[in-house]
Amino acid sequence: MTKIISLFILEAVFCFTFFTVSYSDINLIQTTCKKTPFYDLCVLTLKSDPRSSTADVSGLARIVADSVKAKAIATLNQISALLKSVKDPTLEKALEGCIVSYNTIIQADIPVAIDAIEKNNPKFAVQSATDAGNEAQACENSFAEKPSNSPIFSGNKAVHDLSVVLQSIASLLL
Amino acid sequence: MADINPLLPVSSSDGSSNLTGQATCRRPIKVVVSIFFGLLTLGLFAALLIRNNGPVDYVDVHENERGSLASTAFEKAENLKPVSRGPAAGVSEKSNWAFGGDLPDYPWNNSMLSWQRTAFHFQPEKNWMNDPNGPLFYKGWYHFFYQYNPNAPVWGDIVWGHAVSKDLIHWLHLPLAMVADQWYDKNGVWTGSATILHDGKIVMLYTGSTTEGVQVQNLAYPADQYDPLLVHWVKYPRNPVLVPPPGIGPNDFRDPTTAWLTSEGKWRITIGSKINKTGIALVYDTKDFINYEMLDGLLHAVPGTGMWECVDFFPVSETENNGLETSINGHGIKHVVKASLDDDRHDYYAIGTYNDRNGTWIPDRPNIDVGIGLRYDYGIYYAAKTFYDQNKKRRVLWGWIGESDSEAADVKKGWASVQSIPRTILFDKKTGTHLLQWPVEEIDSLRLKGKEFNQVRIQAGSVVPLDIDSATQLDIIAEFKIDSDALDKATGSSDASFDCVTSGGAAERGALGPFGLLVLADERLSEQTPVYFYMTKGSDGNLKTFFCNDQSRSSKASDVDKHIYGSLVPVLRGENLSIRILVDHSIIESFGQGGRTVITSRVYPTKAIHGAAKVFLFNNATELNVTASLKTWQMNSAFIQPYPNL
Repeated sequence: MTKIISLFILEAVFCFTFFTVSYSDINLIQTTCKKTPFYDLCVLTLKSDPRSSTADVSGLARIVADSVKAKAIATLNQISALLKSVKDPTLEKALEGCIVSYNTIIQADIPVAIDAIEKNNPKFAVQSATDAGNEAQACENSFAEKPSNSPIFSGNKAVHDLSVVLQSIASLLL
Repeated sequence: MADINPLLPVSSSDGSSNLTGQATCRRPIKVVVSIFFGLLTLGLFAALLIRNNGPVDYVDVHENERGSLASTAFEKAENLKPVSRGPAAGVSEKSNWAFGGDLPDYPWNNSMLSWQRTAFHFQPEKNWMNDPNGPLFYKGWYHFFYQYNPNAPVWGDIVWGHAVSKDLIHWLHLPLAMVADQWYDKNGVWTGSATILHDGKIVMLYTGSTTEGVQVQNLAYPADQYDPLLVHWVKYPRNPVLVPPPGIGPNDFRDPTTAWLTSEGKWRITIGSKINKTGIALVYDTKDFINYEMLDGLLHAVPGTGMWECVDFFPVSETENNGLETSINGHGIKHVVKASLDDDRHDYYAIGTYNDRNGTWIPDRPNIDVGIGLRYDYGIYYAAKTFYDQNKKRRVLWGWIGESDSEAADVKKGWASVQSIPRTILFDKKTGTHLLQWPVEEIDSLRLKGKEFNQVRIQAGSVVPLDIDSATQLDIIAEFKIDSDALDKATGSSDASFDCVTSGGAAERGALGPFGLLVLADERLSEQTPVYFYMTKGSDGNLKTFFCNDQSRSSKASDVDKHIYGSLVPVLRGENLSIRILVDHSIIESFGQGGRTVITSRVYPTKAIHGAAKVFLFNNATELNVTASLKTWQMNSAFIQPYPNL
């Protein structure tokens, strides 16, 4: 009988810790993402990275920064591919400008953001994230065929929105 | 008592007929219970797996705080405003751009970018700078140190840059004073302040970010006190001298101040921090700058203001027109507490009374306490720090001016940030509520050709060009007289909600404003930066005056900040409205009412540069004619360069 009881207690403790641990890390992702304007994007991005299950807010910011960089690299590759076959000079100019923007995001904004998060001086991460979002939007704006979207619209939007998420999360660290 | 393995048959024996009977009854219960727990465990494992790898559909999809999810569309022409933690003025100088320039983006060519470099503001030859550090006067030289990235035009790899000057204007660059070469500052040689001891020796306290990312305070001093250039610095071998105390986070403990003497003869410093969202200033006493005792109380705290960076604490005289040495206390003296708020990137100050015995300070006006009231500067201005200049008996203020263009442009031009022109700081005897800031008088030595304009009448709705030659390096002092009849006649409005920041800028016409100057403007006014007054009259007949800088049409480029800066400026009976503006390429420093309200802006025109830049007077009010008298001077370069033959 005591064996049953101890088994039961063991089981109860197991269930309890299990639930609280797994519930609380999901809770941190949810509460953090609620403070950004792109809740779904934020949650999706964080949950698809295994580091998020044990990350604090600083760690979540790092995950988003990595994601911005990855998306920016993908978009930069897209831009380069388009540049190879472009004929229209206006389009070419816009694409070349976007190369500058994306190089800035990848080589300046995100490394500074990550450095600032790691060194616990988050205002520089907020500033860099803001700039990254602005750069993506500047790229999108530079295409002539308004009001329709540019050929790299989805890349620009992803980078912009994720930068905004990064800016919001880094703000929580101030 | 229970069988180890309840599923095995219990062997019956004579003496255990009871047991057998019981065992037979108990077995199914045990089995059921075991199977139940077994399944429960399996079920929980399954739930764990699904939770971590499954689709996110189970997550509560809901409307977020800012509106429905579907509607945050990525509209091209729209200004997307993400979560803002600061007031509408913008969280940081890199605030989200209000897109809407005429030019396609990326108009920046080398002519435009090279023009942006200032001629008489302190900046290193290249790369990134931020906070001013350890300013002091010693053996005939003014010293200036600063947060510097030697490797890139963005923040990172921070070390201490160093420069010297005889007059706070003509600076000579020296080698780096301190680099990140110890475990206790490996992750950053951050901001600090100098104290000059009784015997004239200098000690420097600064924040180091350790290899673990913990913020600690370290002691350093000149390697050779007889070297007036103070080129080499030594770090105290047993640093750090202060680590975060109990209850203070390892990342909330930085920027020690200059020390001042207590009535007991000890040195006292304050260090900014926070507890939850309350900004605080911790106090420490020391005799040797090595051993410290933390006071039980705080110098001051203000809820809701967040982390206090770069705290400054200093006395001002209520009666005299000179600065005060940091340890002065007594009758006719007020003390200023200043903090740089991490949350909104602005510098705030408050005037109050210091109690030396318990190391506390209370504001004269709690409703405009530190962080919720007055700012040193309503534009781009942060991490400011004062020092007592014993050479000329004045208190001098330094402030970091960041960029408000894109980082892409910063990378292209190879540098970012300047310092403001050093300002004297005095208590404003006339209002009793404000400090007055004014460029140090040595700036006048840069004045070249001057021109005077007397009693220029600017009618409502007009623009008057000023015939001066070059308009990118200027000192302008202007006075505006207004028709008092027009003021009396104007109808008061119950709409008391004007604010430079949320207004329509200089294009928004009111009865009594805006009027002032247009600087960095081209001939056709396709680019212009208005610096102006806007007056409002309340329903009670009371006049209010606002002093603003409008960047919304400062450049045709769309990747620069276009916000409007400014604030209320006190104007006393009988005072004319006055403005002083220093224009130095991409920086404008403007002083309203003798420095009661100050605004610094970064401006990046594409057309109004070099010879094409002009200055205009303007009056966009509907019911007011204005008369302006002004003096303008071309300003020479300060020829800031490396110290020769070092």
